[in-house]
Amino acid sequence: MTDRIVGLFLLAISIWYGVTAGDYEASFGDPLGPAAFPIMLSVPAAMLSLAVFARPDANPAWVTGTPMLRQFAAIALLLSYAGFLEVLGFPLATFIAVALLGRLLGSTWFKSTISAAVTSTFLFVTFDKLLGLPLPPFPNFMS
Amino acid sequence: MEMVSALAQGFAVAITPTNLILALFGCFAGTLIGALPGLGPVNGVAILIPLAFSLGLEPTSALIMLSCIYYGCMYGGRISSIMLNIPGDEPAIMTTLDGYPMAKAGRASEALAISAVASFVGATFGTIGLTLFAPLLAKAAIYFGPADYFALYVMAFATIGGVTSVNPFKTLLAAFLGLMIATVGLDPATGTARYTLGSFHLYDGFDPIVAIVGLFAISEVLVYLERVHEGGARMVPLGRAMPRLKDMMAGGWANLRGSVVGFICGILPGAGASLGAFMSYIFEKRWSARDGRFGSGDPRGIAAPEAGNNAASGGALIPMLTLGIPGSGTTAVMLALLISLNVQPGPLLFARQPDMVWGLIAALYLANIALLFMNIPMIGLFTRMLSLPQWILMPFVVMVSFLGVYSISHSSFDLFVMVGFGVMGYVLRMLGIALVPVVLGLLLGADMENNLRRALSISTGDFQILVSSPIALTLYAVTAAMLALAFVLSLRPPKNDAAVTD
Amino acid sequence: MRNLSKLLGAAVVWTSLSFAGATAAECIAPADPGGGWDFTCRTIGKMLFDQKLVDAPIQVTNMPGGVGAVAYAKVMSSRADDADLIVATSTVGVTQIAQGKYPADTSVMRWLAMLGSDVGVILVPKDSELKSLDDLIGVLKKDPSALAVAGSTAAGGWDHIRLLMLAQAAGMSGDAYKQIRWVQFDGGGPAVTQMIGGQVQVVSTDLGEIAGFVESGDVRILAALSDERVPAFPDSPTAKEQGLDVTGYNWRGFYTGGGVSDDAYGAWVDRLQKLYDTDDWKKTAQENGLVPVWRGGAEFDAYVKDQAEKMNAISREIGVVK
Repeated sequence: MTDRIVGLFLLAISIWYGVTAGDYEASFGDPLGPAAFPIMLSVPAAMLSLAVFARPDANPAWVTGTPMLRQFAAIALLLSYAGFLEVLGFPLATFIAVALLGRLLGSTWFKSTISAAVTSTFLFVTFDKLLGLPLPPFPNFMS
Repeated sequence: MEMVSALAQGFAVAITPTNLILALFGCFAGTLIGALPGLGPVNGVAILIPLAFSLGLEPTSALIMLSCIYYGCMYGGRISSIMLNIPGDEPAIMTTLDGYPMAKAGRASEALAISAVASFVGATFGTIGLTLFAPLLAKAAIYFGPADYFALYVMAFATIGGVTSVNPFKTLLAAFLGLMIATVGLDPATGTARYTLGSFHLYDGFDPIVAIVGLFAISEVLVYLERVHEGGARMVPLGRAMPRLKDMMAGGWANLRGSVVGFICGILPGAGASLGAFMSYIFEKRWSARDGRFGSGDPRGIAAPEAGNNAASGGALIPMLTLGIPGSGTTAVMLALLISLNVQPGPLLFARQPDMVWGLIAALYLANIALLFMNIPMIGLFTRMLSLPQWILMPFVVMVSFLGVYSISHSSFDLFVMVGFGVMGYVLRMLGIALVPVVLGLLLGADMENNLRRALSISTGDFQILVSSPIALTLYAVTAAMLALAFVLSLRPPKNDAAVTD
Repeated sequence: MRNLSKLLGAAVVWTSLSFAGATAAECIAPADPGGGWDFTCRTIGKMLFDQKLVDAPIQVTNMPGGVGAVAYAKVMSSRADDADLIVATSTVGVTQIAQGKYPADTSVMRWLAMLGSDVGVILVPKDSELKSLDDLIGVLKKDPSALAVAGSTAAGGWDHIRLLMLAQAAGMSGDAYKQIRWVQFDGGGPAVTQMIGGQVQVVSTDLGEIAGFVESGDVRILAALSDERVPAFPDSPTAKEQGLDVTGYNWRGFYTGGGVSDDAYGAWVDRLQKLYDTDDWKKTAQENGLVPVWRGGAEFDAYVKDQAEKMNAISREIGVVK
């Protein structure tokens, strides 16, 4: 069942991809133009998606319950990290992220806090101070 | 003879106590940078160029240290492929295919040893090729036109179905997904924005490193979260900490075969180490198809791509030094480095600045030997690293990945893209769709399209140009032969049932 | 392991000492490591420190994306008043702005200075039958699609536009010169090697990257698009000498945010001018294929705005921008 849904989804993507490509035109340039290659890709991609739809494999074992919640929490955590890195500054954002991620991966609060302190300090010192890669050091509201 | 004395002169330049210490430091730092996902030779060398300047190093010394970092990264990329199923850099993606299954079977040290030896053989082969044939091979690269490049990429994608042993439809579909992702961004030939959804963040398309780190590293975290037990389980069984001598040699002749294929790919600007590793793997799989257990921890499946990618890195220095053409991001950084040291790569380099070039080549030989001797004892260190609980190791790997991506782009946008690729990677893995073809499509797709369009620009739209050069025709013939061989083999009953599934 | 930690320890001490008491200025290279903008930031950043014009080494940040558009947007939106920030740019960036491919026009930034310029050249292989610009124009006038011309930018990019400007000056009509075959490669080096390999017949690109091929005699300069002959190649004629009044420079310079104070702006212009006046810079520039040229402050600001307008007009004329 999963494969049938995915097959249909990818079929839709391939068709959208090919149709969108049709709009790309350059007033001058090479003979093939920007549209031809994507259209050439979309046809076999659509056919392969149909093949996956027509001959599905057995259903994968999606996780449920607590592990699934953990996965969603982890994704939310990583997205927030991406969003807050420049707002909170590298050391603080990394500290929070490592602590929470460690907790999700089954450690205790105490241990993951220590690991977070060590990891964030180590990375900040190594990259910003030692290697000269400018990282945002402080939360925005402090500077 | 002239060459021998020039090389001897090069060694005389390279072997001073300071230079040797810098070479060792470069090898060590390079291995670490290469091993960390998201950090590769591109940012490794770029980060360390200013460091080399501010330490006030002599140009030769700086060059030696940074080329050791370059080779070290190539050695290091395999480590996290094998240990964590996360490629340390682009060319190391192929090493996940057999390296990780071997580590999962408790033979991590063996896999690391095989790949260290393979890296040594490949890199030495590449360096010897560079020493002997640089000017000659540069000429060959000149006669490789757009139509020939296109034929080369057709060959890569025609044989991609053989990468994994799962559902071939899905493998091909994965490759097409990669190719489709590769078309996002400004079209290089006309400057038209494609699939950018109006955001200039997507004008340069998706950086392969961002995609790789997302697809492999973030999805790996999600896989671990499936089976987390309170207290934290180990990722792979520890097994023997240090390999035996006979384990190291398990790659056998695959080391040399991989080196040859990889070196040829490396000479061609644009193709580079990733294609070298991929082609070596595919050729090896065809070569030893009868008794192979590829995809489930075949030593040759580790040796061939590792030898291939290292030989390609050596080969890639040829067009960079003799033509001044950087074939890849990594050689582009090396080129920038040389220029900032007032070395002008190009047709006159060997005649004008022989000391510098031969010093560099001598340094590469030294780096190779140093790396081999350094990497064998480091196996113990890396296998012990696996005994760290995953709640320490995984967050560390994820944060380094974020840092690696942030350090080259300085944009949170790329971090979001990386997480997006992570979710996509997890879903694809659950569906049994291999990730390696996605990445290959992304890495090679743009070049494939550009060369097709260049060829047709030259011929004003006449498709005959694609089959009018002897090089292209030869490549198509080899492709056809490989497909025919695959078809014949598929008619036989399969011997091995040990396909890898997650 | 212990040795490493010692080394790291020593390095930390060294770094913290060298950074003590000064905040480092930052230079954004809006491209991946290894390109021209990256080179501009790294070389000039290093030289500013060597000449003691800044207190601490300048940190280089790579911010690739959209041929500089990502960095432009970033500076515009969040660092407009950051006086410690400069951004590398060149004619290529201004071409993008002129063609509306950046999030805003030239007015949102303060343009500091240019310190050097690469020169556009028209190249042919050494044994080509084309001996002068007249030969080339003659062939193209007879049949615009007779020759395949290559360069490092897209159709409509600076390498291509420079070629079309020549065709225009020679009196070819828009309909005719649109038919000239244009092949894009990822840089001047690949374009020239493919020309030597016989895939294309002519290359239009910057001199700096491919000067080695001219020196080695593999390719000939048909015309240099500069006011005067390039010092390194005094035998190669300019387009002007051959009767076509076209120049095509690719300058290297910097801008800073639009909200930076006059004092800070003046200080940067001053520093860059002091650097420009050193012999070291002139030497470095020449070694890298650049002609040292100075325009700074208000003069440069006006120059950039004028260039953007002219470029926009050309782009419209040849149909790149509608």
